[in-house]
Amino acid sequence: MDAVGTLRVWLIVAFTLLGLFFSLVSMTGVLRLPDVYSRAHTASQADTLGAGFGLAAVALAIGLEGAGFKTVLLLFFIFVTNPTAAHAISRAAFEEGIVPWTEGDDRR
Amino acid sequence: MWWVTDTDDANGAVTDDAGAAETDAAGAERRPTVVVPVEPSPTLRATVAHVVEAAVDGEFSVVHFVEIASWRDGDPGSGDRTAEARRVLERVVAWAEADLDDADGDTGDGVTVVSTLIGADEYLFGPDDYVDVIAEYAEDQGADTVVLDPEYTPVGNTALLQPLEFALSNTPLAVRTAPVGRPTRRERLRSEATGVRFAAMFGLSLAFYFVLGDPLYWFDWVTGVATAVIVSITLSQISFDADPGVPRTPQRLVRGAIYVPVLLYEIVVANLVVARVILDPRLPIDPTLNRVRVIVGSGLPLMTLANSITLTPGTLTVRARDSNLYVHSLVPWAREGLFDGSLERWTRFVYYGRSAARLPTPREREDYAVLQGPDATEELPIAAADGGATPGDETGAPPDEAAATADGDETNAGDEGVTDE
Repeated sequence: MDAVGTLRVWLIVAFTLLGLFFSLVSMTGVLRLPDVYSRAHTASQADTLGAGFGLAAVALAIGLEGAGFKTVLLLFFIFVTNPTAAHAISRAAFEEGIVPWTEGDDRR
Repeated sequence: MWWVTDTDDANGAVTDDAGAAETDAAGAERRPTVVVPVEPSPTLRATVAHVVEAAVDGEFSVVHFVEIASWRDGDPGSGDRTAEARRVLERVVAWAEADLDDADGDTGDGVTVVSTLIGADEYLFGPDDYVDVIAEYAEDQGADTVVLDPEYTPVGNTALLQPLEFALSNTPLAVRTAPVGRPTRRERLRSEATGVRFAAMFGLSLAFYFVLGDPLYWFDWVTGVATAVIVSITLSQISFDADPGVPRTPQRLVRGAIYVPVLLYEIVVANLVVARVILDPRLPIDPTLNRVRVIVGSGLPLMTLANSITLTPGTLTVRARDSNLYVHSLVPWAREGLFDGSLERWTRFVYYGRSAARLPTPREREDYAVLQGPDATEELPIAAADGGATPGDETGAPPDEAAATADGDETNAGDEGVTDE
């Protein structure tokens, strides 16, 4: 295997691991954080960098083909829709009158 | 005798001598005054006719036609929009003159027509902002009535009339809508249909179709064109609130392409900070809700900024109320970053260019507040979330100070034309 091919394989592995890492952090956050607002922060992490690095790895593995372009488009749509969804959820919570958790609050 | 006065004074003070003399001459007797917000609309002509008729009948003796600027002086293109607004006002005054002439006789005498452009010293977002500007102007002019054009939609892409009527009903002003026919009844969120918007939407959806399909295969052309036509018919009025134009749209796309790597870098840095906090066994979080007043135009720029803030972990846009963003922050680091306003400056760069990006941070403008925790400077507007409280209570002192600074910077053309006929 030539040098470029080796680099590509290692990049794919690195991106996959990074994607897994951020998905794991995001999951931990959803489990540990106290309320809907703080969980929304970390849940969107899984979308941005978790799925982001995962799709980057897929695009690298496929290369410059039709499916590779589609992966980049997927990434774009995730980046547009993810904050909109997070905003919709937190706004709904706010309009329900849910007060955000602060330091010293008993709710956990 | 009646006067037509035209003034650009942002505070709406009519400063021309003839008008002032007339007001003084009228002296002790109070002249019933009406304020009519105007904007190009299908029913504007009929509204002007209605107001003039009411004035001739003796209901009002001073009519103020005001155009409220949805832009801000100093924005790129604000000169063009100001000129456009002045043309509209000139047309309205010409109509009013014609109607008064038609109604001549003794009754048309003593009706003063004034036209003014107001509100160009700040961005206006929702109905509350418009009502503030109208109410302030009405108070300055001693007006007690507001007549609304039923198709009055100053923001351009949303139906504002009902919320505007509602918000006006909380002021001492008497409000009524001109009883004129509505030739068209558009749905909410719909803007004007234009050929440019249709073509842009068509091109965009066809290009997207061919990224997914095969541009060399005839069948994909047939299905692609059919799909693009359907998409353009249904969405071109919703997706654009202004015509795409040269060079504005390509410029924005290029600047947007510069912004994307910057945003990605911010996202990665913020992700690492938040990951460290979450994986820390002590979980050192200090979440608070914050308010920050941003200086970007409503619509697409505001959406870009709010979404950029949400994409960056650690900050989450909970509510966008007029120009105020309510942002939840997970750690103090993210909160400080928000008040430093780098995303706000980048958004201004993307939409208005490099010179517009140089502005003080929200911290320097004092356009921010922490709403929770030991550092809280403002009360949590949770009751306001369902529309219970008046928005004036939320804004507090800092925005007023910012407005005062903006007043100092503004440039008033101050040209006044008086015609005495």
